[in-house]
Amino acid sequence: MGNIILGVGELGATNNPADCVKTFALGSCVAVILMCPKTRTVGMVHVALPESRINPEKVKTRPGYFADTGIPALLKKMSTFGCDPNGRGFIVKLAGGARIMDPNNTFNIGKRNALAVKKTLWKFSLGAVAEDLGETYSRTVTVSVASGETLITSPGRKDWKI
Amino acid sequence: MEQRATRADILAAIKEIPLLSPSASRLLQIASRDDYNIDEIIEVVKCDSALTARLLKTVNSVAYGLVHQVTSIERAVSYLGERLVAGIALEDSAKAVFNKKLEGYESPVGELWEHDLRTAVAAREIARHSNTDLSKDLAFTAGILHAIGKAVLSDFLHESAPDLLANIDSHDIRDYLEGERKILGMDHAEAGFELAKAWELPESLQMAIRHHHTPQQAPEQYRPLVYAVHLGCIIAMMSGSQSSDALQYHLDKDYSDYFNITNEHIAMILLEVNESVETIQAALTEGREQAE
Repeated sequence: MGNIILGVGELGATNNPADCVKTFALGSCVAVILMCPKTRTVGMVHVALPESRINPEKVKTRPGYFADTGIPALLKKMSTFGCDPNGRGFIVKLAGGARIMDPNNTFNIGKRNALAVKKTLWKFSLGAVAEDLGETYSRTVTVSVASGETLITSPGRKDWKI
Repeated sequence: MEQRATRADILAAIKEIPLLSPSASRLLQIASRDDYNIDEIIEVVKCDSALTARLLKTVNSVAYGLVHQVTSIERAVSYLGERLVAGIALEDSAKAVFNKKLEGYESPVGELWEHDLRTAVAAREIARHSNTDLSKDLAFTAGILHAIGKAVLSDFLHESAPDLLANIDSHDIRDYLEGERKILGMDHAEAGFELAKAWELPESLQMAIRHHHTPQQAPEQYRPLVYAVHLGCIIAMMSGSQSSDALQYHLDKDYSDYFNITNEHIAMILLEVNESVETIQAALTEGREQAE
């Protein structure tokens, strides 16, 4: 079984049923998982920050870095697999967006990432069927193309699926 | 949670850890002073042929993409920056600490070093927003060192993570530090401080290690540095960490006495951390492979 491993700000898609798409140790970052049932394609983008205006240069080399550019870039990538370019009929799952323990929610980039991801998805009339967002733990996400199963692991905790 | 070891066991384990190489130790001493001169750094490197080779291989790695090969140690040091030179010497000298698989924290090999580098870059960037004259280089060096205590405690924490996390989730304990103290009689900040004393590190670095999760307990004169490392460590955890204690600590809001930092700054710093660490890691890996 092949693994497509995505680093921070990277995106990828595959329709090979033998593949898994995986990203390690999401802290405040959010993994956006898009599944196209028609073509049985799975795509993922590892979003690090909410908005691209903070560094437009970065968008050229790694559009997946930001929620507002990462999701359109992933849709474009998936359209090369014959998927609908606007994601019509897609299944969406979200994971990540964690925070440090702080009652004042200072520096809650995770929450801002999750909101920006949802806002961008809405523009394509997409919404998540499953999500595991926020809280104070690190997440590694693995999606199986064959089953669509989305497994989350975190050091010291039992694995779970969304 | 049951007690698994005593303070005496931990202190005995610290005694077994090899001392730093003379050049690493000297470089840390120099780099932690405000008034040091780059020539002092170059002198130390020149007297250590293995370190010289490693630095030249690192600076000439594809990751840095320099057009002309660097052959002089002067240019290598000024290009890499003094702080990274001290960091490389430290990693070389204390491989057993930085590259250990931290099973007690369910961390893979290299995770501690990666977290330390992320903290170092973040602390350096935080230092730019300081309202005191905090040195960026010192913040970087303190970031590299801040979590060395985890390498000490890891061996004693085997399979303790699920129980510890459950107790934090149920609010029976406040954070991972309290869990470590309950199980071992000592937390990783104190264990790191003991190791720093054994390594005879400068007092500023000792304080950054000891108080990186409790900055308000640091002596007043060291607080800007300690808060920079405190925030740096938190930003490093936000940027991703494969460790059972990731994000299991509290933010001390009094950082705002020393730094003018907004959410926008934090976003920029996260970006800088990811970019810098990718480049440094790629260059170090290449330098290491060529040296072998």
